[in-house]
Amino acid sequence: MSTALVTPAHVATPPKLTPRQIRRRVARAVLLVVMILVAGVMLYPFVVMLVTSFKTESQYLIGRGSSLQSWKDLNQTLPIYQELLNSTIICSASIFIVLVVGGAAGFAFAKLQFRGSNVVFLTVVSAMMVPLQAILMPEFVNMAKLGLTTSYFGAVIVYAALGTPFSIFLFTTYFRRIPDELIEAGIVDGLGYTGVLTRLILPMALPAIATVTVLQFIQIWDDLLVGLLFLQNPSQRPITVGLAALAAGRTTSIPELLAGSLVSALPAMLVYLGFQRFLIQGLTMGIDR
Amino acid sequence: MAISALDLRRTPRRAGSRFRPTYSTSLLTRRRRRMGLVLTLPALVLITLLIVVPIGQAVYYSMTEWNGVTTTWIGPSAWTQAFHNPTMWRVLENNALLLLSVPFALGIPLCIAVLLHQKVAGWKIFRSIYFLPTAISWVVIGLVAEHFFAYSGTLNSMLDWLGFSHSHTNLLGNESTALIALGVTFIFSMIGTNTMLFLTGLATLDPSQEEAARIDGASSWKIFRHITIPHLTRFIQLAFVITIISAFSALFSLIFVMTGGGPGYSTTTMEFLVYQTGFAQAQFGTAALYGLILFIIMCVVGVFQLRLLGAKD
Repeated sequence: MSTALVTPAHVATPPKLTPRQIRRRVARAVLLVVMILVAGVMLYPFVVMLVTSFKTESQYLIGRGSSLQSWKDLNQTLPIYQELLNSTIICSASIFIVLVVGGAAGFAFAKLQFRGSNVVFLTVVSAMMVPLQAILMPEFVNMAKLGLTTSYFGAVIVYAALGTPFSIFLFTTYFRRIPDELIEAGIVDGLGYTGVLTRLILPMALPAIATVTVLQFIQIWDDLLVGLLFLQNPSQRPITVGLAALAAGRTTSIPELLAGSLVSALPAMLVYLGFQRFLIQGLTMGIDR
Repeated sequence: MAISALDLRRTPRRAGSRFRPTYSTSLLTRRRRRMGLVLTLPALVLITLLIVVPIGQAVYYSMTEWNGVTTTWIGPSAWTQAFHNPTMWRVLENNALLLLSVPFALGIPLCIAVLLHQKVAGWKIFRSIYFLPTAISWVVIGLVAEHFFAYSGTLNSMLDWLGFSHSHTNLLGNESTALIALGVTFIFSMIGTNTMLFLTGLATLDPSQEEAARIDGASSWKIFRHITIPHLTRFIQLAFVITIISAFSALFSLIFVMTGGGPGYSTTTMEFLVYQTGFAQAQFGTAALYGLILFIIMCVVGVFQLRLLGAKD
């Protein structure tokens, strides 16, 4: 409001500011500086990855010079194309299961309540609290016995099972907002439940589907533990696991490792930048209203 | 609302059947319930087979001595043995020490959210930047953090630049300091998520309330303390629970990449001990037991969260 006093005539000779205005401006300037500093800290990982990836190991150690060598050698150290493909396969398959299974159950819990459905719902939602580490050993033994640790399928269903409780919670919360009358109208008009689900509910559920997809994508793409243990075949490793395994070996050149990190981080960053809105919605689901 | 329009279309009751409230037995209602069951079934099967049953198995495994080949039944004494194991207490101590980072993992994001909420020109760009690390794997963050804390890393370059070249640090290589480096990295990793939560909370704040307080002569601090913070309570609780859960069960990637649990046991947490015991030492039974102890800790946190969700209604 105070800036309205500054008319074009004042531009050539700065106007005398009241102490209050000066304080305000100083405060704004300090605020901006602090925000830029914080931005520097938050961007630090990306700057390090980018800058270091354009060095050779020796250039990295002496701290100057740049080279494309690490990028050229990257695919030999870390089979990025194969591993990006593996990540994509595993993510898509798990997310598909989470959406179908979680969406159906969420709809049922919200709109097709049966005897005891509330108790079942609470049980399912509390499964959200079970950390994988708590059931890691039996889970691994079961999967190994079924021979699923040498195919994508084992990791895919473990991811699906871990993601389903939260997706049910999210879908149930979402579907509760849809009026009962709408579904009844669909049934009365002879659509049947399949028709209601595919033609009425599915289009309405797109925002919830997007939220679950984005959250699960970032979660699964970034995960280490499941991929490390449930994909025993190195050629099926997702990129995050490949990267961590390489890092744990402690023999790879750091610039190459950071080049690989950047490659692995890019897809999740793009998804995040494109769908930030849905991520925030998912995170605060159920408490903002 | 529970008795919907559908339920009013009652069908005549069969003679001889015991009386029940009629709305519960109409043809359409029964069809609806059956459909409800059918749609829930896949989820129930998945969660039962992959989450519930393994909890039961873990209880059984925890009372056996098993290396993957031979199984010996030990019984409940396996638990007493575990509680006499100094390693477990050492590791639980690390978990407890890591909780010291929780106030920072909440306080720093709270400040950042308040900064963003001032909405200076370009604040949306800043918001995107601040949230960006949320998207990347903690494996990647761990790799960068290792580079930051390394002897020839950024931290020491900064110390050089500030003129403290004699006080070079090697936080990750030292048993007494490695956990600090891990804690700092954990705080950094939580900033995006928690800032996001707090900023959402601030967005629901009614600006006229703040305005009124300002006109009444309240200072910025007083407004923050008596209007903003109480308004954010639920968001702070949620962030608190998420941060605690992460501290107990999401550090695996950071530890795996940064320290491998060492030096010694200095950065091994309970979740990492499960992995180490099970896969490096092949003691499946003991690992299952440690997993259950972690689970019990999480249940305590879970009860807290349920009370939090319950408080909403």
